[in-house]
Amino acid sequence: RGRACGGLVAVVSPCTSKLVTSIQLFLFFCLSDVSCNSVAQKIYVELNNTVPCVRLLNATHQIGCQSSISGDTGVIHVLESEADLEWPLSKGPNPPYMVLLESSLFTKSIMMKMKNASSRVAGVVVVQKTSPPEFSPHTTCPNENTGVYTETYDHNLAHCNTTVWNPRGNGLSYEEFDSPVFSLKEDNETEVIKQCYFDHNRVVNGSGLQYPLCAMQLFSHMHAVTDTATCMRRSSMDFSTSPVMVCDPLGGYNVCAFIRPYNSTAFGHKENESVVILDSRAFFLEDSTGAEGSVSGFVTLLAAAQALREATQEAPPTRNILFAFFHGEVFDYIGSSRMVYDMKNNMFVIDLDNVHSILEIGQVAVRSGTNLFLHSDPVSRRNNTVHDEVTNLVKNLQSSTAGLNFSLVETDFSQPLPPSSFQRLLRARAIPGIVLADHQTDINNRYYESFYDNAAHLNLTYPSNLSPEEQLEFVTDTAKSLTEVATAVARALFKQAGGNNSQVNKINADPKTVTQMLYGFLVRSNNSWFQAVMAPELKDILQPNPPQYYVGVAKSSHQANALTYLVQYLLANLTGTATNLTQSQCKKPDELPNESTYLYSYLWVQGVVPPNSTQRESFCVRTAVRLVKAVSPAFDLGDYISKEYSTWTKSQWKFIKARIFLVASRDLEMLTLGVGVAVLFTSLLVTYFVRTKADVLFSSVREPNNAAY
Amino acid sequence: MNLERLPNEEKLTLCRKYYLGKLQMYVCVWGFAFLPFLWLVNVVWFFKEAFVKPTYTEQLQIKTYVKRSGLGLLLWVAVLTTWITIFQHFRAEWGEVGDYLSFTIPLGIP
Repeated sequence: RGRACGGLVAVVSPCTSKLVTSIQLFLFFCLSDVSCNSVAQKIYVELNNTVPCVRLLNATHQIGCQSSISGDTGVIHVLESEADLEWPLSKGPNPPYMVLLESSLFTKSIMMKMKNASSRVAGVVVVQKTSPPEFSPHTTCPNENTGVYTETYDHNLAHCNTTVWNPRGNGLSYEEFDSPVFSLKEDNETEVIKQCYFDHNRVVNGSGLQYPLCAMQLFSHMHAVTDTATCMRRSSMDFSTSPVMVCDPLGGYNVCAFIRPYNSTAFGHKENESVVILDSRAFFLEDSTGAEGSVSGFVTLLAAAQALREATQEAPPTRNILFAFFHGEVFDYIGSSRMVYDMKNNMFVIDLDNVHSILEIGQVAVRSGTNLFLHSDPVSRRNNTVHDEVTNLVKNLQSSTAGLNFSLVETDFSQPLPPSSFQRLLRARAIPGIVLADHQTDINNRYYESFYDNAAHLNLTYPSNLSPEEQLEFVTDTAKSLTEVATAVARALFKQAGGNNSQVNKINADPKTVTQMLYGFLVRSNNSWFQAVMAPELKDILQPNPPQYYVGVAKSSHQANALTYLVQYLLANLTGTATNLTQSQCKKPDELPNESTYLYSYLWVQGVVPPNSTQRESFCVRTAVRLVKAVSPAFDLGDYISKEYSTWTKSQWKFIKARIFLVASRDLEMLTLGVGVAVLFTSLLVTYFVRTKADVLFSSVREPNNAAY
Repeated sequence: MNLERLPNEEKLTLCRKYYLGKLQMYVCVWGFAFLPFLWLVNVVWFFKEAFVKPTYTEQLQIKTYVKRSGLGLLLWVAVLTTWITIFQHFRAEWGEVGDYLSFTIPLGIP
């Protein structure tokens, strides 16, 4: 503040030439856009690396956080323990407070206490530090209303009556907060905040706090409110030329690849075709990397797809195999419900009659022991044909672990399926299938759907003296165990698809691929291998962090999120063929005699950099991988209160930012305002008096002149 | 327009015009639409003429017009205030109906 005042003094200098020069300098700076708002920069410190909690809506509720339209300001208070909550909630003399807490204090009880005292707590900022022993903000029974276990399917299995899958779940993600909640990583900005707090806000010897105090302001005003039906209705009522979209449906793209591709324009039933589906779900939320929750599953699937490439090209099995990566499964199965809907309405290349069986890879990386477990659905197995098929699939799986360091055990017969995409397919048709997981009853994942489910949770440790490229190549133990799982899955799938038994033992997953994928998805996506498999125009997706995992909104243009592209290009690289096409031919391959865009998609990828050169050897990959739109069918049907399909939408907002600054006391502010108003009225009064008495005040000078005339 | 300079007959004609809402050549429809505002103008503009100035021939009629405009104005104010209060209070609860009755819907609040 002192420096700003000095600047003002310089401008109001009595010497006119100095004044002119100052004005010229000021204008120069303004026009060249260098430091036009330097006063604002002296007051506010902007915080850039924040992750806000946004508002999500579904058919009945709104969850998440909302700030007021002009931001919420509060005096910063760093919470040290749960008992310290008394200060912001009752004892502190300067409400409202902005509570800063470490991740170990980010528990449901503390958050609910602060939610109830929203007049004194302006917002919450969570600093991510060490992982607590367990933390899962999801519900105890994920997706309980949109799975297959409804009251009508089986009364005893509905609503997790027999097995509670996520017992540590506290449901914090599904609560509604009236104040903003932001999350920060521990870095320089957090240090600045803590320094400001220690300088100004600490209570010294029990005496009162002296103004000015350090305060923080959070802006995260959400436009949508109440529920999905309301916000979709408001979005569609456009009275002005540019309608305001208030919320967007969640969604993205599923990634699908057949071993033997079909004509992509021919939808509906395929005669005499039988398909085995291998799928994994992409349960992504917010900032969560979902290391155990989803990465373990789809990395294993990618490795299995690679392992199957050789064998299926040499001796194609009788049945076709579909590799499917479903997106947005945490939000009531967006991806899988879409695929089932497409299949039922002849909008997909196969339909439900073509599906022979399903194998799903669930969470497989955190084992307690050497066993992995095979979950099946007891209700559909009451039918003998389904039961026989499932038993056959189990047999194929169990025999595929011969020579590997683990074994597959069936779970208890009466236990239902864990939350999985397979449940949505079962909801449509009783298809035989198995879900492979590392847990026998409830899940082993202590950080389900939270931002602690990261590389450290999977014990992905690299020796400290390795460079990033060496870390990429280093085969961790986690990678080795996932490789074995992938090998078993690939062999079982080959047998299930009717492949030749003698070829089975040649099918092996590659540990190097698995460890490279784990590194790329969980540690650093900007590595040489990911760069080689990506397209040139998408290389900015690769960052020095793990990729952005949030299920974004379903954009109308063909823009998927980073993860979808990564999975698509990796699957293309691992199951496709490199061709000799040039870049222009790769864009229009139909002109060539042997290529067909109906069956394949052609992707131009960057390729590796050869040792003695700087140019990348880019090439064209011919692959059967397709991106299929994954938006909940409820939005196509216009049924925003659907109980059948996911109705999740995300609110829109104008801007989200956070900043810290010093605040003066309320008394000083009122005094300043009072003085200003008083000056205004005084000047009005003075002007009025001068005006009415103008002849008295100004005429005495003229009189002698009048007298002269 | 300075009322001071007008002769009394013209003042009466003007007051009547504002009371009836016939402005220039437009049909009463427009007049009826803006009636509350026209009546407000009538009351404010002609108040001095009707009640404060010394009596003249046309003043009685002007007085009638001003009184009737005043009454009409009060009625409109009462109706509008009631409707606005009800609407502001219950718009959120009316859900779909409330949204269809609104021109701009506030963002972020029900």
